[in-house]
Amino acid sequence: MIRIFHNTSFDFIKWWRQAAIATIAFMVLGLASFAWSGGVNYSIEFTGGTLVQLEFTQPPNVAELRSAIDAVAPGSEITQYGTNLEYTVRAREERTEAEATTSATEGVAKSIRGALDAKYTATGYTVKRVESVGPKVGSELRRGAMIAMALVSLVTLLYLAFRFEWRFGAAAVLSTAHDVLVTFAFIKLFQIEVSLVVVGAILTLLGYSGNDTIIIFDRVRENLKKSRKEPLYDTLNRSINETLPRSILTHTTTLGATLALLLFAGEVLRPFAWVMTFGVFVATFSSIYVAGPLLLWIERKFPRAVTDKAHASAAQVKAESKVEGKPERPSRPASRPTQRPATR
Amino acid sequence: MSNLKYRVALIVAMLVASVWALFPRTVVERVKRDGVFAFDTVRRVPLKRGLDLQGGMHLALEVDESKQAVTDKSDALDRALKVVRTRIDEFGVSEPVVQKVGNDRIIVELPGIDDPKRAEDVVQKSAFLQFQITDETQALDKALPRLDQIIRERGGVGATVAAGDTTKSTQVAALPNLFATGDSASKGDSSKTDSVTSALNPTTGGPLSKLVQAGQFPGEYMVAEKDVRTVEGYLALPGVQGALPPGKMLRWSGDTLSIGAQIFRPLYVVDARPIITGEYLQNAKPNNTPIEGTVVEFELNNEGGRRFRSETGKHVGDYMAIVLDDKVMGRPPVIQSAIGTRGQITMGGRDLQDAQDLALVLRAGSLPVPLKIAEVRQIGASLGQDSISKGGLAMVIAVGLVIAIMIGYYRFSGMLAVAALVLYVIFTMAILAGFGAVLTLPGLAGLVLTVGIAVDANVLIFERIREELDRGKTVRTSIDEGFKHAWSAILDTSVTTILGGAVLYQYGTGPVKGFAVTLIAGITASLFCAVFVTKTFYLIWLARSKNVQTLSI
Repeated sequence: MIRIFHNTSFDFIKWWRQAAIATIAFMVLGLASFAWSGGVNYSIEFTGGTLVQLEFTQPPNVAELRSAIDAVAPGSEITQYGTNLEYTVRAREERTEAEATTSATEGVAKSIRGALDAKYTATGYTVKRVESVGPKVGSELRRGAMIAMALVSLVTLLYLAFRFEWRFGAAAVLSTAHDVLVTFAFIKLFQIEVSLVVVGAILTLLGYSGNDTIIIFDRVRENLKKSRKEPLYDTLNRSINETLPRSILTHTTTLGATLALLLFAGEVLRPFAWVMTFGVFVATFSSIYVAGPLLLWIERKFPRAVTDKAHASAAQVKAESKVEGKPERPSRPASRPTQRPATR
Repeated sequence: MSNLKYRVALIVAMLVASVWALFPRTVVERVKRDGVFAFDTVRRVPLKRGLDLQGGMHLALEVDESKQAVTDKSDALDRALKVVRTRIDEFGVSEPVVQKVGNDRIIVELPGIDDPKRAEDVVQKSAFLQFQITDETQALDKALPRLDQIIRERGGVGATVAAGDTTKSTQVAALPNLFATGDSASKGDSSKTDSVTSALNPTTGGPLSKLVQAGQFPGEYMVAEKDVRTVEGYLALPGVQGALPPGKMLRWSGDTLSIGAQIFRPLYVVDARPIITGEYLQNAKPNNTPIEGTVVEFELNNEGGRRFRSETGKHVGDYMAIVLDDKVMGRPPVIQSAIGTRGQITMGGRDLQDAQDLALVLRAGSLPVPLKIAEVRQIGASLGQDSISKGGLAMVIAVGLVIAIMIGYYRFSGMLAVAALVLYVIFTMAILAGFGAVLTLPGLAGLVLTVGIAVDANVLIFERIREELDRGKTVRTSIDEGFKHAWSAILDTSVTTILGGAVLYQYGTGPVKGFAVTLIAGITASLFCAVFVTKTFYLIWLARSKNVQTLSI
């Protein structure tokens, strides 16, 4: 029997402060980037506009290509797409309302084709993909994506509150919020284009990370039932260690799948694959270092048992004198799970 | 033991059902070959591929309200939907989708379309046919001096306004319909062009009359192609419409004429009241005639024929403009004698394909409201094929990696998990085929991803069994306990993922919906495979080898 990380007893939670600094630093970096250079890089679907993907038979001179396209669609973004034969041209629609209604949307793709026909002849290139989205559709999709993300968070919260006790649910949802922020920072810092597919990836990531948290919390719940005297801090550490082999194995197989997508599935899926690959690491990190310490913190702010109140608040005072509002090593007596709902 | 029998029976039944669902079957497909419809039988796996995988075109159409507001949009769209569907059905695509989404949008999906431009035209063309008699009274010539004066006045006023105007609106002014309705959007532009021209030519001759020359018959005028935009600008000026001869209107020709080295676009003055419109049209078909070239022959119904006969009888010797979507088609023919139910539209040198498309839209009827294209996605067939092969490769590699990890780490139990994984992939595909779900590129990604995630349930169970074994329990008890304790975590994770998928399905569009569907199908199948199928495998193994002391896990 091969065993990895079997019967470990790492004190994971000990490092919560360092972990918090690291993740907050990453988020601040992302936020600073937002402040510095504006929002994320939205795809055509969200901004409205036209995207044309071209494949040339000969590698084109980029400067010539640019000038040819600038003549018909000024301000277009031209980027190499995979090989040096493929390029995408992005013309963002920044027209006034009156002009937009005259359905000039499909006109851009046409005029780009016309300009390229003149420059490279009709046989010198092929149009592999055209996406053209009116501003109204774009804003609708953007709103839909926002609602979807909010709904997923809400639905997860409700389900967790139903299955677990609210403290666990709150910790899990706060850690989900952390995942969203970190992922946006990642998307911003690595300039990943946010399309609907990427929104799908973000939602999947949230689910995946939530799963990881659930599995650890499930173990915590079980361990709390078994040994009621143990401080939550130790229970948490023990649960993380016990589920460690599973975490490592599952993350490895998932990482295998996302890397396969990243390396072999082509350019179209690459942003999706990047976000999911990042997601594997976020899930691992946040379920251990965000959800765990948050649960400890919530438990200390809102101790569960009535009979424990005296001990708990005493311990709380002691703890707060050490560090402001954050969990500390055996800071309070055993949390007695009397109010835990019988979930199964 | 009987319990085990039922389990095996259920798994076998599901496998059979899945294989049946996925088995290549004969389907009848309607294809258009050489302009004729034919029914084709093909054998293929009944798994629908999305447009992004097979190539094709996706269009979203909305009511175009830029010219006039539409009161009951939903109803107008319903009527437009019928017309669009008839047109698309005749257009000849194997499995088109035409549906209304919400209250204000029509979605058209055309798999495997190779000429997107043509498809857009067929869908969007209003196809409003009118017959109008050209003016006999030289009304425009009489009105020209007055028009010139108005343009001069307006132009002088407009010049200062135009200075601050952007160059962007030039495109708008080029749109043909401005003219009939006097769209205010082009005011700035037209006054600017005017100020430029008048600055260059401050000499005699009115700004308009100098650009317009009389044509070959009454009511026909010629405008040099390079001046068309300027003239359109003039005509869109406020006040100009009011000064036009009463009861008459101006129509541009859809074609150009070359006279000598110069290219001209005819401009016609016609009676505002059409003698007949396309609503009486019964049939239309393309034809190739030796004299006129490509034509579309049409046939009117009885009532239309009667009206047409009486109207044309009144106008023998006059010229009749055939106006399609506000453009005059060909040069107006002279009416020799009263015409009955049959007539033809000259295509002015354009090819048979154009004639076919025009006949098609005329047959399907005109759109009740103008439609504008809100969204276009067109994916080349080669890109779709490319996506399939690359996605497939990623899938194979992901599955290979997972198999290697599982067997390498869990040995015998890992093999059971891999067997369950194979079933998992078959079940997932079968669910997709069974529900008629569409496999898209993000869906393919979801499939690859769920392969990685699907083994999670197995990993949870196996790790649990190991723990139970460590506590010194027997193999049988450990397996039981392992499944029992892992269940709650597996259920929770599956439910949250499915909930997320459901939300995504609700708010996503085409490809993303495909992703959500694959995700949901994948998680459901994985729940069944990891928990039920693997457990059954263990039970079979336990039943076959009594008194087992060790488990390879």
